[in-house]
Amino acid sequence: MNSFKPVLTEHIHEQECHTLSFYKSVDGYSALEKVLKMDPQKVIQEVKDSNLRGRGGAGFSTGVKWGFIPKDSPKPTYLVNNADESEPGTFKDRLLMNKAPHQMLEGMIIAAYAIGCQTAFIYIRGEFYKEYQLLEKVMAEAYENNLLGQNILGSNYSLNVVIHRGAGAYICGEETGLIESLEGKRGWPRIKPPFPAIEGYLQCPTIVNNVETLSCLPHIINRGADWFKSIGPEKGPGPRLFCISGRVNNPGVFEEPMGISLNNLIFDRAGGIPDGKNLKAVFPGGSSSAILTAEEALDVNMDFDELVEKGSMLGSAGVIVMDETVDMVQACLNIARFYAHESCGQCTPCREGTAWLVKMLTRLVNGSGTPTDIDMIFEITDNIGGLIDFSKGSFGKTICPFGEAVAWPVRSFVEKFKDEFLKYLPQEKVIA
Amino acid sequence: MPLIKIDDKEIQVESGTTVLQTAEANGIEIPQYCYHPALEIVGSCRMCLVQVEGMPKLQVSCNTFVGDVPPDRKVEGKYDMVIHTQNNLVVQERKNILEFLLLNHPLDCPVCDQAGECLLQDYSFKFGSAHSRFEEEKRVRPNEYLGSQIVINHNRCILCSRCVRFTQEISGTSELFVEARGYKSKIAALEDRPLDNLLAGNVADICPVGALLSTDYIHKNRIWNLEKQPSVCQDCSVGCNVDVFSRKNQNFRLTARENQDVNGYFMCDIGRYGFHRFEEIDRVVQPMMRNGETFEALDWDKAIQKTAKLIEQAKEKTARIGSPFHTNESNFLLGQMMAGILGSLPPILGEEINYPSGFRISADRSPNLRGMTDIFGGIAEDFPFELNDRNICGLYILDDGVDRDLDDNWKDILARMDFVVVQSYAMTDLAKSAHIVLPGLAPFEREGTITNDQGRVQWLRPSLPVQGEAKPDWEILALVMKEMHPEQQPMQDISQVMKEMGAKFPAYKDISFFRLGSTGISLNGSDEA
Repeated sequence: MNSFKPVLTEHIHEQECHTLSFYKSVDGYSALEKVLKMDPQKVIQEVKDSNLRGRGGAGFSTGVKWGFIPKDSPKPTYLVNNADESEPGTFKDRLLMNKAPHQMLEGMIIAAYAIGCQTAFIYIRGEFYKEYQLLEKVMAEAYENNLLGQNILGSNYSLNVVIHRGAGAYICGEETGLIESLEGKRGWPRIKPPFPAIEGYLQCPTIVNNVETLSCLPHIINRGADWFKSIGPEKGPGPRLFCISGRVNNPGVFEEPMGISLNNLIFDRAGGIPDGKNLKAVFPGGSSSAILTAEEALDVNMDFDELVEKGSMLGSAGVIVMDETVDMVQACLNIARFYAHESCGQCTPCREGTAWLVKMLTRLVNGSGTPTDIDMIFEITDNIGGLIDFSKGSFGKTICPFGEAVAWPVRSFVEKFKDEFLKYLPQEKVIA
Repeated sequence: MPLIKIDDKEIQVESGTTVLQTAEANGIEIPQYCYHPALEIVGSCRMCLVQVEGMPKLQVSCNTFVGDVPPDRKVEGKYDMVIHTQNNLVVQERKNILEFLLLNHPLDCPVCDQAGECLLQDYSFKFGSAHSRFEEEKRVRPNEYLGSQIVINHNRCILCSRCVRFTQEISGTSELFVEARGYKSKIAALEDRPLDNLLAGNVADICPVGALLSTDYIHKNRIWNLEKQPSVCQDCSVGCNVDVFSRKNQNFRLTARENQDVNGYFMCDIGRYGFHRFEEIDRVVQPMMRNGETFEALDWDKAIQKTAKLIEQAKEKTARIGSPFHTNESNFLLGQMMAGILGSLPPILGEEINYPSGFRISADRSPNLRGMTDIFGGIAEDFPFELNDRNICGLYILDDGVDRDLDDNWKDILARMDFVVVQSYAMTDLAKSAHIVLPGLAPFEREGTITNDQGRVQWLRPSLPVQGEAKPDWEILALVMKEMHPEQQPMQDISQVMKEMGAKFPAYKDISFFRLGSTGISLNGSDEA
């Protein structure tokens, strides 16, 4: 493990690492030159072979996603770089945009070339104003140097990139909500089918990829699918940016191979828990993932499939660490509030259910809970996010996965820390 | 064609139809809120969830399309899809969704106008729970006006977004939108653009619950006290299909009735609120004869005799004037009454309005210009000239009660006549200038056929009772004709008039109320059943 050398963040500590001249000095855009001489289908195959899985949260195979683009569509194809990073506990895309924007752009051009796209978008979170300004400069540099625009690097391939700023909605990170927003509409996720790869932006085939996913592409092209696959578990390989926040001595973004143990991340890379406190619980993949107890957390590797087996998910790899001083009921209410605030309000269960959860948890925290409330929270989460049976997967009930994203964590809090919830009940009402 | 199984029913369906459409066509009820056949599918209410075998989640039936699957993927070796609409999972899910929808609902059915025709009420009764588990405080918001005639009760709103999509897709005016987010979401109208387009009233029709209310109808009646009569709107030549809701001798409400060949699912506010025009009208309810400056009443027998006598004396110097507001049957009999020239009361014109969805309000604001022209068999091209040219001395006018300002030309003509007989339900300027006034029926009292500007013959049905001694217009004409031609077989009923009409004008052959049914028949023969 210690032999791992960062790939995506190799140069982020260097001066001026965001500039084109720096990026070129470290072999930047060499993958693009290579790709422009390749058959686009070959590029897709290479990415498929690398087993690269999306870094945004769902972890779907990038190459397979690209393969859904219809081969003979008369419509234009669009690529959208999802830079609407808003999952709580996740701050890796911002780092990549700040420190390695050309790496991301090169990845975008490669992806656009592979899927036959002439216009690509960067949908950037509205609050990332500094990053937006930087990206505008980066784009200008790229256009000046023929990395964007007509006949890129003398090839027959042309691409324009448009930056679009979000307006502050979490749900616009969901790909169809994002596409609606990009079209100038309200960010309400679309019902599927049709999937974006068939009918996305302006009803045209559209691929939405995350910043980190795209940033991996130049390296896959340069070093090959086999190299990529050799990093970490074969079914979900590659370098990964882990964002560690919460009660640790050294929070931040750490690039490590997929499959690194969570124990290692927390106690080695992030320097352990301050003041000698004990670990209590961890969100392994952003606030939408089910929490792990300390015991579970110390015995899990950060791998897509292993975390699903453990009843959670790798998600956006935003690791939020909670120590023994954290009040789990308050934390649960905090999470529920976030989701009630961010629910787009389109589907009945999510719109009504999230608010109900908040009202109930607030009452519980204020000391007016009843014993039946605890069971009710289970039922409400089931009714929002579907019956959660990890042996069979989750059965969502809403248009987009937001329903599951609120149901999973809230349910896991109650399930794993029930005694803390019971302590909030007025004493005379506690049964057994 | 794919073979599917819904519950225990095996059904062959066209590829590309949805599970919801198929179920409805086969008498299987699937509850739904956000789905409306005229609007884009959003699948957000989640009420129509069903279980499709082989799919991990419950599926919204409004957006689940049936198609052929390869032989190796067929369920039980033969079905392209197997759907459950009644199993425990689906039944429980409906309960859950209804519970969510009712969390903040005030449960004020006793004072709600929608009660009795409310999908929230109906589905709660059929699929919901009798008890709420919600112990928190309900979200309460004051009512708001979205436009001058539409008010919203936010507490009853289930945010199905039908109304928003209506203004985006059907009227194309986009006044409505969803404000805020999550459970703070609410339907709102743009600050500088209230919901005042001419299709606005439809949002109250398509609202599945008691949230959107027409100020014209609010708190006026309960739906179960009203009679519903399917009919046709008489406010322009499109002839939108409507349901007229009335009680005793008063209309309370018009709503659009589906007819894909005419108006789709909608109607305009001109027609929707048009019935109020007839409420305050100065009615004629018995035959009257001029006596100097005033009128005196007389009985029908005398009135008919006098009318016939006046016409007999003048013979072909009597001209007849029909109206595009009257039915085919009345205009037909007027045309058949005698030889001589025929004219028409001037049409009423307005602005032609076309909506992006294809919905149309015609510039011709009379309902039956096409029909009148069809069954008159020739209208004098220059009526005033012909009047002079032929020395016309008597007029028989089938008046339509429309307030027209009579110009000097008309006043001259009327003054010149030896006699004027006006058949009318209202004391119009024309009626006031008449020698004999014969009381006919007002628009919502009439029955007959009218032909819209696309050549569709439709059944106009009465929703209000006849007033006083008034008689159907066709019957008055039949009585006058009987008096004039005792040798001829008299018209006994309206179906006989229709038969005669068909005999004289082949395009109208075989027209009968039975064949017209609720959607009418096109004269162009495109949809002859």
